[in-house]
Amino acid sequence: MDLLWQTAVNATYAASYMALIAVGLVMIFGVMGVINFAHGELYMVGAYCVVFLYAQENFPFLLAVAAGLVFVGIVGIVMERTMFRPLRDNPLGGLIASIGFLLILQTLAVLGFGRRMGHVPPATQDKAEIFGAVLTHQRLFVILAAILLLAALWTFLRRSKFGRALRACAQDAEAASLQGISMNQTARIAMFIGAALAGVAGALTAPLVSPTPYIGHSIIVTAFIIIIVGGVGSLEGAVIAAVLYAFVHTFVTTFFDGVIANIVGLALMFAVLVVRPTGLFGARERA
Amino acid sequence: MTMQGERPVLEVRGLTRRFGGLVAVDHFSFSVREGAIHGLIGPNGAGKTTTFNVISGFYAPSAGRVFFRGLDISGRKTSALAAMGLVRTFQGSTLFQEFSVLDNVRVGRHLGARAGFLSRLLGTDRQSEREADERARETLAFFGLEELADEPVSNLPHGHQRMLGMAVALAAEPKVLLLDEPFTGMNPEETRRMMALVRRIREGGVTVMLVEHDMQAVMNLCDTITVMNFGALLVEGAPEAVRNDPAVIEAYLGSAAADGAGHVA
Amino acid sequence: MPAAGAGGAVRRLAWRLRLVFLFAALAALPYLLSYSQQEIAVLLVINVLLVSSYRLLTLTGEWSLGHVVIMGVGAYASALLAKQLGVPVPLSTLLGGGAAAAVAAILSFPLFRMKGFYFLIGSFAAGEIIRLIWKRFTDPFGGPKGLKRIDPFPDIEAGFLSIDFYEPVNYYFLALVVVSASLFVLYRIERSRIGLTFHAIHWQDRLAESVGVDTFRYRTLAFVIASFFAGIAGGLYAHYVGAVNPTRFSVDQMVYVLVWAVVGGTATFHGPILGVVALTVVNEIVLRALGLDTVRPLIYGAILILSVLYLPNGLESLGTRLRARLQHWRGGPAATGSEPA
Repeated sequence: MDLLWQTAVNATYAASYMALIAVGLVMIFGVMGVINFAHGELYMVGAYCVVFLYAQENFPFLLAVAAGLVFVGIVGIVMERTMFRPLRDNPLGGLIASIGFLLILQTLAVLGFGRRMGHVPPATQDKAEIFGAVLTHQRLFVILAAILLLAALWTFLRRSKFGRALRACAQDAEAASLQGISMNQTARIAMFIGAALAGVAGALTAPLVSPTPYIGHSIIVTAFIIIIVGGVGSLEGAVIAAVLYAFVHTFVTTFFDGVIANIVGLALMFAVLVVRPTGLFGARERA
Repeated sequence: MTMQGERPVLEVRGLTRRFGGLVAVDHFSFSVREGAIHGLIGPNGAGKTTTFNVISGFYAPSAGRVFFRGLDISGRKTSALAAMGLVRTFQGSTLFQEFSVLDNVRVGRHLGARAGFLSRLLGTDRQSEREADERARETLAFFGLEELADEPVSNLPHGHQRMLGMAVALAAEPKVLLLDEPFTGMNPEETRRMMALVRRIREGGVTVMLVEHDMQAVMNLCDTITVMNFGALLVEGAPEAVRNDPAVIEAYLGSAAADGAGHVA
Repeated sequence: MPAAGAGGAVRRLAWRLRLVFLFAALAALPYLLSYSQQEIAVLLVINVLLVSSYRLLTLTGEWSLGHVVIMGVGAYASALLAKQLGVPVPLSTLLGGGAAAAVAAILSFPLFRMKGFYFLIGSFAAGEIIRLIWKRFTDPFGGPKGLKRIDPFPDIEAGFLSIDFYEPVNYYFLALVVVSASLFVLYRIERSRIGLTFHAIHWQDRLAESVGVDTFRYRTLAFVIASFFAGIAGGLYAHYVGAVNPTRFSVDQMVYVLVWAVVGGTATFHGPILGVVALTVVNEIVLRALGLDTVRPLIYGAILILSVLYLPNGLESLGTRLRARLQHWRGGPAATGSEPA
């Protein structure tokens, strides 16, 4: 029983940062129609922002996280301007270009920090106990930050003019541009937000995962599973699927092993692709 | 309902097709006589294109059945239907734009040019390929396109592309040819030529069913016309009867008032 | 086809002559290379088959991310057949190709319910599952460390003739023969009606379907053939290097195949071959000489982005464009004046 409860708490932590990553990926796909293969590397860059600023240069942890968010967001804008905008009518081209970008980011990380794991001391050693389950403050912080950020994003998308423009572009780019919504402006903002979410996830979890330049691979696999299960166009679906996947993965890892958990996750995605490619929570197939 | 003595070559019975909550076709029945030129018309959104897509195997029916020469073909794949002799065309210039004119029609000969994998590999399919080639050129000649055989499709004017689309379908040797809006967007001269071609195709023993917007062409060409409205049968009969039917006039007028398109000739 | 007259005969002769020269050059090549360069040449020949088989799949318009894993299926199968069951190596390689084709045939049922991006992700997922199975099940796949001491290609001892395939030069010729034969088959397939049908499915699958093409069957056929030859490439690799492991067939390796194909251009048969040769030469000669091994992925990434942005039809189209440019210059100066000669 204790183990079950502890695993559930662990799964909640996993769900929180996975949701940030997946929502970012869906955001980019929704507006630009491009699957960003470099999304895992954006997470990695966010993590290395914390390695550099917090672990090496001794800036406060929160400042390093904020810097990671902004920096990776800017990287996202660079990607939009240099690759996704010229390739707007060529989604496959955009995807392949993002694979090229992934290699560049990986190499830069190796050049800057070496191939070995970056060690990041936790910002706090404190632990909370929730009905017998241990939750480090470091993990609790990730959970709270994720909830806060996603709530802020949700409000932003519902209330602001940009939010409406984003949703309009995601639904029908042509109609949106007829309404006088600037596609470039909207894409830039979507790319900033989408990338920044991956970056902040990396920054927040850096002390917990010991990043390497190659950590993006497992991240992108996870993100793909989540967005396929949730339905590629759906932000809410991505959050729900992140929770679902995090629980499945964490429980299988705890009670079997990590490789089996990965196989189960991929098989879950595969099954969704075959049976219901629009995702479990995506819009129903239209005629 | 007009029902000739002989057995229909194509028959739709109680066809229903839903998209989510929307019922596009609702318990619709009609049949096509062998050797006929049969028109399916109706105002915008009447469900004729959906019906066409169900018959040609692109959608499965939600309920009801489609029979081809007495055989239940509901929900079969388009390629399987083509192999049975039910071949459709597409609106506009849906062609292999990157191919030459001849290669388009050669793909149309897919079913006629059978050969095993090994004989493809070893080149022993040469005989059947030469035949396919000849048949493709004959088909092109039928449409007056033989001079353009080696041109890339993208060089062809729009009217020629429409005829090539029909040539591709005809190369598959259909028993029933389904034409999807063959006259839409054509000028009167092109329409006239296309109508003559459709008649000649029928004389060659091919039954033709077409979905069309251009009322003038439909009235002058078809033996029987089925009019749909709101997903169901409105009227069926000979062109003169349909033309003067008050229900048809009303349906089209209502539609014309709504969107300014579609006029009864 | 238009009647092949004298012009056709001349052209055919010229083509054959070119082929003869090409093979003469390929036969002379290893003797101009150092030992380590010979080893690279062997891998290059194998990669030519890998990327050419990949191109066959792309003819139908689908891009897979699992092709290197499929190569791995061939490699593992061939290695296991030789190691565990004592199947002679040439035969095991062929059977490895068969195993890869069989896996593709099974995978095609779920995968070809998807198209475009979904197919891409689906093939990626399928590949990752296969790789995780290799990793997880130490018996028989050897787990993360993979298989080692895979039987080499047996030496040939026939009277005065004695060929030791441990020598890269000899394996180079062996691979060259196998790959050339495979490329010939791939070329024949593309030039036949099957290739025409693949192209037709790529450009207008609904139109192809309407004249009786069973697009599912043909997509599967392309996938199975491509996988068979990828499996053969895997077998050639396994028995040359002597070891395989799950990491060797990871998506990183797939990225290289993509780069070769995209940079070379998939529109023509020789495009991807051009891509893999050019990038391998750049890689092994230029980058190695400059000591830039670490930045290799960065340069590959930059090349990939630049070719997607500026060379949508690959290196091959660069050649065509340069030729047009050259002609323009030759005939140009008098007319335009301002053009640099």
